Amino acid sequence: MYTLLIKQFIRSRITVGALLLLFVLGLVSILIGNQFLAQQEQRIAQVTEHQRAHRERNVAAHDEMGLLLYYLKFALISPPDRLSALSIGQRDVNPGIQSVTIRTLEGQKYDTDLTNPVQLHAGNLDLGFVILYLFPLVIIAFTFNIFSEDHETGTWKAIAVQARSAVRFLLARLFVRALFVYGLLLALLLTAAAIVSIPWNEAFLGFVVLSILYTAFWFALAFWLALFKKSSGFNVLTLLAVWVVLTILLPASVNNLVATLHPVPEALSTLLKQRDGYHKKWDEDKQVTLARFYAQYPQLEKYGMPEETFSWGWYYAMQQQGDEAARADSQALREKMRRRDETSRAFARVIPTLHTQLYYNDLAQTSLTDYMRLLDSATVFHEQTRLYFYPRIFENAPVKSEDWQRWTPAYLSPRQTVHWAPLALPLVAIILLLLGGTWIRSRKLYFGE
Amino acid sequence: MNRTIVMLLARQCWKNAFHTRAIYSILVVMLLVMGYAAYSGWKAYTQQNSMREHYQRAARASWEENPDKHPHRMAHFGTFAFRIKHPLSVFDVGLESFTGNAVFLEAHKQNTINFSEASFSTGLLRFGEISLAMLLQILLPLIIVFLGFSTIAADRENGTLKILLTQGAGWREILAGKSLGLFALALLVVVPAFAVTILLLAAAGAPFTADLAGRLAATVLVYVVFLAVVCMVTVAISAGSASSKGALMKLLGWWLLLAVLLPRTSQALGSYFYPAPARVAFDAAIEEDVLRQGDSHNPDDPHYKHLRDSVLRVHGVDSVEHLPFNYSGFVMREGERISAEIYQQHVQQLTHLYDKQNSLTTATALVNPFTAIRNLSMALAGTDAEAYQVFQDEAEAYRYALAQKMNALQMELISNRKPGPKDVPLAIPHDHWKKVPDFKSQPVALGTSLRGVWFSALALLLWCAAACGWLGRISQTLKAL
Repeated sequence: MYTLLIKQFIRSRITVGALLLLFVLGLVSILIGNQFLAQQEQRIAQVTEHQRAHRERNVAAHDEMGLLLYYLKFALISPPDRLSALSIGQRDVNPGIQSVTIRTLEGQKYDTDLTNPVQLHAGNLDLGFVILYLFPLVIIAFTFNIFSEDHETGTWKAIAVQARSAVRFLLARLFVRALFVYGLLLALLLTAAAIVSIPWNEAFLGFVVLSILYTAFWFALAFWLALFKKSSGFNVLTLLAVWVVLTILLPASVNNLVATLHPVPEALSTLLKQRDGYHKKWDEDKQVTLARFYAQYPQLEKYGMPEETFSWGWYYAMQQQGDEAARADSQALREKMRRRDETSRAFARVIPTLHTQLYYNDLAQTSLTDYMRLLDSATVFHEQTRLYFYPRIFENAPVKSEDWQRWTPAYLSPRQTVHWAPLALPLVAIILLLLGGTWIRSRKLYFGE
Repeated sequence: MNRTIVMLLARQCWKNAFHTRAIYSILVVMLLVMGYAAYSGWKAYTQQNSMREHYQRAARASWEENPDKHPHRMAHFGTFAFRIKHPLSVFDVGLESFTGNAVFLEAHKQNTINFSEASFSTGLLRFGEISLAMLLQILLPLIIVFLGFSTIAADRENGTLKILLTQGAGWREILAGKSLGLFALALLVVVPAFAVTILLLAAAGAPFTADLAGRLAATVLVYVVFLAVVCMVTVAISAGSASSKGALMKLLGWWLLLAVLLPRTSQALGSYFYPAPARVAFDAAIEEDVLRQGDSHNPDDPHYKHLRDSVLRVHGVDSVEHLPFNYSGFVMREGERISAEIYQQHVQQLTHLYDKQNSLTTATALVNPFTAIRNLSMALAGTDAEAYQVFQDEAEAYRYALAQKMNALQMELISNRKPGPKDVPLAIPHDHWKKVPDFKSQPVALGTSLRGVWFSALALLLWCAAACGWLGRISQTLKAL
């Protein structure tokens, strides 16, 4: 029976065309992701090289430690996970590199990379998109008439008479379609793993499982609907309406809701406060500024109060006061981002498309969480760098006394991203619900006819 | 063509639609979603603008309350430019969420425009945003397809078509009447969409200028043309299909391909073939070019050495301390001019590169009316790349003028003799700060907006002509069976 079902299935031009189109778009998306990854790595190489060249030029040009450190930049890099090629997420908007001087951090850490807004608006064509948007469409195209077509062409009666179980026959048909769709899905994932050289780790397994569950959700939905014995036209319109709601309307509405629910004026106030916090110190009493600075870092108090009109110790104390002035607003900004994330995740638990997208980004470490993690790490990194150099600035240590070669970019370690239960449960729950509905309908199919 | 018959058929198409229960639920859902879209567009507009205007004022107040100080300190104190949303963003949010909103303007340095909505997004933004324009561009065509796919194909299936044709209705009348009826149904969504837009503009207190009126009128016009195209294509495909199911499949494929798949694919390919530089490479290239011209911080730099020698010669003095103006202010003026020029050259190259990335999508407007309407709509709403460019240019022009004003003040009012390490720093009176005009962004002019979208306008007109031509041609060849 299966051989015949397969033959019947692939004889259709639409079937072959859809599978082919999906495969080609999948390949294109993998290449695009691979290019993205290569660009990210190129950026890291550029930053590393620039940090070296920039440092060498400035070390040669300046003999004052304080002045030299005005110019020197120190990079903290969050290296892209290989999986980010499959789910670019927020990584195109929020750079994975913080390249900062030891001056006020709040004025530097939100600096964006160059972006083409038209490109961002159109969205990335990564494999995540292909699976999220296009696989459901193909599943819909393959399954909307799985039952209704036989009714419409009048062949159902013949099948009902000949097949031992009507539902089992339909399941076999569904199975054939699933075979092709999952075959394609796995082929694309394996191709991606080969082209992008993704390691076979737990995160990749998470990506595969998530993709399988997500597509299973669509199969379950389509099969459940098929058993209502409506016309093909009704089925395709209903499924497409669900697709439009799940991939376009609901996510877009939730996005707008999150944006208007949690606006971030703190971003703008942080910007102002860090500037005023530093710049206005030029007009204030040096003693007060330094006293505040020493209260923060008592280990530096031994350097005392300089008598000169200008000293580098005082200069960096002023800069540090910029961060201090913006601290509360910066934390409020962080809290807003966290709340946005929380709200989105709460909605995602019941909306399969959102859930899958957010977890793809989590697995690929391209989510807002990862950006916030980089910002937090940048704060720690900045302070460590400052605290290392402060004594040398106060003592005006000779520039040559420092081994500058060792100041290469620092790297953020990857985070543990796979949490199986929250990853799988929402989708499994919805699938079970649909299967339950299918089971109930299938009983009616026996007795109701 | 017999007008009475056309109107009769249009009315019949309208009435038929209301015979199904589905249309009521579709309209209710669509109107509810539109209500939400309008609310959220209005909320974002008022919320963001009041926020940004507030901090623009706060930045100004902070600037003005500075005490007497050295003008170069003020050049570094700098100020901010906050981008103000166009009132029509309540209708079409365009690129607004992906463009930066705030930039720090200081001497020597062109800072990045930060804090785009996208940078705070959780990743959901990639699914798109809901706005009235998006609903009219994406969802309404789908509804038109739904209402119209069977309009002629079903008549053919149940034999009504034969009766129509034998009773004196020609193919031309049928095609025109059905298109008109379908278009009238579309107006049920379009009219409330624009009515609510106008109401929200009034509620938000947007000044009703000729520019805004022109934008609104042009927006209505392009949507009317676009939706007419969608209606005609729907009717033509329905007429050309043997069954209504076939017509539905073709139309859904058409919609999916053009509304969802093509725009993203063409843009992704455009960016794939023209990769853009990262900021680190961009900044490094500018730094290199500036250093090639001369390093104003290096006392032995040939460019600045030559400059100093020629200035000394002209004024007939032997040392910069005897010049009638502050020499370091003069050097910074020269440095600012050079670096700003170089920066502009690089920005132009980058803009050119982005244009190339976008060129593939723009070109597809010719085959894709969905792209044409999207570009036209956001240009008319002042939320496209052109409008963002205007803001970027304004901010940079202000930054440059501010830095040069401070350099001029330094040249004029600051002594050439450097104070000793324990002297009081040099300063000028604080009333100069108030005299510097505040940053004020002007909304993008309609003419500027239109300049970038002539191709899309042309493409939409061509689509309209082609759809009319298509209907005309098939009216000669169609069969009733």
